[in-house]
Amino acid sequence: MTGTTDIESVETFRARSKAWIEANLPLLSEPWVETRELQRLLFDNGYAGISYPKEYGGAGLTIEHQKAFYDIVAEQDRQVPSELMVSIGIIGPTILDNGSQELKQRFLPPLLRGDEVWMQLLSEPRGGSDMAGTTCRLKRDGDTYFLNGSKMWSSGAYHADYGLCLCRSDWDAPKHRGLSTIAVPLQGNPPGLTIERTRAVSGEAGHFCEEFFDDMPLPADNLIGEENAGWSVAQSLLFHERNAVGGIGMGYLGGWRRGGGAGAFTGIDVGPLREAAERRGVGGAVGTMIADAVISSVVDPLTSDRITLGLQLGTHKGHRGSLSKLQSSLSLHGVARAALAIEGAAALVWDGDDVQLDNAGTSWLAARGSTIAGGTSEMQRNTISERLLGLPREPAFDRDIPFNEVLRNLGKF
Amino acid sequence: MRLDLTEDQEFFRATTRKFLESEVPLATVRSLYDTVDGFDRTWWQQAAELGWTSLFVPESLGGGSLSGAPATDAVIVAEEMGRLVSPGPFLAVNVVAAALAWFGSDAQQAQVLAGVLSGESIATWAFAELDGRWDAASVVTTAGLDGDSVVLDGVKAYVEAAGVADWFLVTARTGEGLTQVLVPADAPGVTVTRGRSIDMTRRFGKVALSQVRLPASAIVGKAGTAGPAVERQLHLALALQSAEMVGVAERTLEFTLEYGRERFAFGRPIVSYQALKHRIADMAVTIEGSKAVTDALATAIDTDDPKVALLASVAKAYVGEHCLDIVDDCVQITGGIGVTWEHDVHLYNRRAAVDRAMYGSPEEHKALLATNTEGAA
Repeated sequence: MTGTTDIESVETFRARSKAWIEANLPLLSEPWVETRELQRLLFDNGYAGISYPKEYGGAGLTIEHQKAFYDIVAEQDRQVPSELMVSIGIIGPTILDNGSQELKQRFLPPLLRGDEVWMQLLSEPRGGSDMAGTTCRLKRDGDTYFLNGSKMWSSGAYHADYGLCLCRSDWDAPKHRGLSTIAVPLQGNPPGLTIERTRAVSGEAGHFCEEFFDDMPLPADNLIGEENAGWSVAQSLLFHERNAVGGIGMGYLGGWRRGGGAGAFTGIDVGPLREAAERRGVGGAVGTMIADAVISSVVDPLTSDRITLGLQLGTHKGHRGSLSKLQSSLSLHGVARAALAIEGAAALVWDGDDVQLDNAGTSWLAARGSTIAGGTSEMQRNTISERLLGLPREPAFDRDIPFNEVLRNLGKF
Repeated sequence: MRLDLTEDQEFFRATTRKFLESEVPLATVRSLYDTVDGFDRTWWQQAAELGWTSLFVPESLGGGSLSGAPATDAVIVAEEMGRLVSPGPFLAVNVVAAALAWFGSDAQQAQVLAGVLSGESIATWAFAELDGRWDAASVVTTAGLDGDSVVLDGVKAYVEAAGVADWFLVTARTGEGLTQVLVPADAPGVTVTRGRSIDMTRRFGKVALSQVRLPASAIVGKAGTAGPAVERQLHLALALQSAEMVGVAERTLEFTLEYGRERFAFGRPIVSYQALKHRIADMAVTIEGSKAVTDALATAIDTDDPKVALLASVAKAYVGEHCLDIVDDCVQITGGIGVTWEHDVHLYNRRAAVDRAMYGSPEEHKALLATNTEGAA
């Protein structure tokens, strides 16, 4: 990661982290500690943003140190503020890559302290994959920008403090050259903002939100990167998102490294599948499904580890994160399908008049979330084939012409 | 093949690739198809000089690994061999060399390893039998103990390089347990039936053992206790085979992409269509996963990791399945010419199909994984 020799060795870091984790972090079996409080505990002890520079509140160490820390967290079954994955694993690194000195000093320390929680404002009701096709409108008037339009599929906007919003600032420029990114405050009912929670497929109040902007005023200082340079900021964000979701990012927070040491950890728990198969006596018929789940639980983490190592050694280029993202989301969907099949009728029907959600049937309804959220599998396949393998791009009808014209052309299809 | 190779390992990889490209290019592989043995023994001795047979041989006998991690070194060669569907009994010879180094007596090592090391003699493992299964329960060949002798009876099948082997490491049964015996090919009662396979150069054969009587000193380890040794040998065989399949899959995808970039349909290269690009992206995922699990298996063998059996079965189930599927889909992408003798893709399809079946199919390893968290053997 870094050629400097004056940073603490991973081994010493591991030893002191282990002692600290054992003494301070609550066990998973203990009462749940509030996210921001837990993050504050990490921050106050120098374990927030392990691979972030010190000047912005990080520990100034490397991804290897971070991995060591979360391996111990996983081995010891400790709580960490996993809900801050977007803030710390995706938005923070994007601000680090693109923000001015002032912006980084303004936003990163509170982000790492857990005082300000961030989320992404990218997808829109009109679609999510064609992110550069955003139709949210950003217009400048003196020191103030005004935002109009709506965003959707934003995770946890109702309790977040800031959203990083991709919007269109120049409608006469070609699609990718008229975009900007700006920090949008979400708390305290700011004027011009309405947030609604999208009801999840389970029927619960959703984790996802839809935001409506009606001439929402934003200080010009909130702009991240230059005006109309929003696409390069978005590219950097997508890169960090892929890595974070694939378990190889700057800020991953432990969910991925459950279950212990190298080669043993997994995001998939095969135990319940085996138990259900035994309980119902259907072992033979569903053996292949169980075996496939075992294979995913072993191969997926090994793959993401190999990619992490390759990125550190420089033998792998950035887009390799898409391999992990595609692999793990297909596996998660596969395991949900296997659970539905193996548990059979009992996963779908229960006694009593209450709605129950903790069953393989309800999980199945949301199983496609893994292959859609964070970039659909189809978009990952485009990235892998075009960016990683260098295969020719799809022809597009919206390149190099003013975006206004693209919109007019839509009527021709 | 690990990403963090040492300088020595990187040099070994480069010389191995150069040697294979210059000495056994695909044109040579094609001409070896018409030969009985499928490889040239003088060439094998050259390969031995490069260190292919020394990795598991103790240093006291002139061998030695590059890095102290012989399985990790060996998968480097296996992967390169896969890339060029190379000839030569690399897997068979190294599994026997490793078995003797791990479990053999000093006398057995002295007797066999010098010739194996120089490439002058060929040793191979006779494990499977007529039912084509690589598990202890399927071994019915017997190793009876009679005073100072051991007597072998039975038929071993799917024995790689059986027709040219000088030594067979025979896995047999003594009561409930397994016994491994080092059998000279010219021992009285040994009858070798040569055979061919769909692979261009890889030959297999049957070894019939009829009242083969040898001194008890031919037993490797202790009679009736070879179960763990057989498992360890199987894990190594699966690591080498997985690495070879990684090379097969990766090289097949490379030349298929070269072809697909130059092949135009409806005014575009055929690999510009998402119908192909998305399948190719899936192949890239499984190749990366195959490399990751193969490396982990090799490391687990070198470090005696208790997870080695699980990794061995996962590797075979995953790599074995995806390697053949990748080659198969590359045939489809190549189109009609891919189903001719002229195009090279069938060379890879042949190797992928043979590797898929030998040492247990993905289906057999999945059956183990389904019922048993421990995995292979």
